[in-house]
Amino acid sequence: MRAMERIGTLIGVFAFAVAAWYGIWTSSTVNGVEFVGVIGLIMGGLLGFMIAFYLWRTRIKHAEDPSDNPVGDIDDISGDYGFFSPYSWWPLWLGLSAAICFLGLAVGWWVFAIGAFFAVPALIGWTFEYWKGAHHL
Amino acid sequence: MARVANAAVIQNKPSGPVPSIPGHGPATRPNMVAVGTMVWLSSELMFFAALFAFYFTIRGHEPQLWAERTAQLNIPFAAANTAILVISSVWCQLGVHQAEHGKAHRSGSLFNVSSWGMREWYVLTYIFGSIFVAGQVLEYAHLVADGVTLSSDAYGSVFYLATGFHGLHVTGGLIAFLLIIGRTFTTRRYSRMQEAGAVVTSYYWHFVDVVWVALFAMIYILR
Repeated sequence: MRAMERIGTLIGVFAFAVAAWYGIWTSSTVNGVEFVGVIGLIMGGLLGFMIAFYLWRTRIKHAEDPSDNPVGDIDDISGDYGFFSPYSWWPLWLGLSAAICFLGLAVGWWVFAIGAFFAVPALIGWTFEYWKGAHHL
Repeated sequence: MARVANAAVIQNKPSGPVPSIPGHGPATRPNMVAVGTMVWLSSELMFFAALFAFYFTIRGHEPQLWAERTAQLNIPFAAANTAILVISSVWCQLGVHQAEHGKAHRSGSLFNVSSWGMREWYVLTYIFGSIFVAGQVLEYAHLVADGVTLSSDAYGSVFYLATGFHGLHVTGGLIAFLLIIGRTFTTRRYSRMQEAGAVVTSYYWHFVDVVWVALFAMIYILR
């Protein structure tokens, strides 16, 4: 996890440095500081720092990650990784309903309402698929 | 020094695979749902970067319009609304604390706050979040009545797109809270999977909260 943290930090430091450089550079032009690039780079840096910060907080809460151990073995991280849905039809219904909703934004709100009518059961069906009914875990 | 530290680790290394938490994965690894959510939220940051960037760009080109339009903003109202959203994050974190201790719902009376579980705190978060959205709608209504609309001028477009996309995110978070609360009614025992869902929803909520604080600083304080 340390390697991933460093990659995140590196992205953050690099993007912040380039943001400062870019800001100083564009401030001498006719139009003044170019905000799209400066803000994009600052928030790109925050992107890296945010992931690095999260991984750092997670690392100090968990037992040592075998990937941080120079003599760790691959099978040290074997085990149950969680539950993975084998297949599901719900995303298809939700996607189709979302498509109708987006069509509604172009055509009219009444189409959006029809899309929402289908989207609500699809969303609930997907979320509760493994909590209720035949596939209950 | 690093070598010495590593040597100590080797000696303490348990034999065989590391213990695994059902629904979580190996104990040395972070929950995959949580990491995936964080990576997705970092990409959401870039979505909001576009909103910040176009605000400052158009503001730089239209200083006259900005001076005129920002005078129409009701800053005390927006500040109160912001406070409601920030407080909702506190309730959310208290709910996460209960979720992490596997407490889905209250064990005592509704008025005994110390007995509350995740469900009660999340309902309270939901109420505060929906007050925030209602406040946004009220603010929009006043601004539209004053002639600031999505298509009135550049300021209107920027204001409604930035705050509107944030408002949609809050609404999405409210829907997520409903589903997370709904899940607690499906099982007798509070599972690790339910906990992971509750925790990542709180990540999302805190993220949207922090983004709003930045948006508030930009639109209402910096203007």
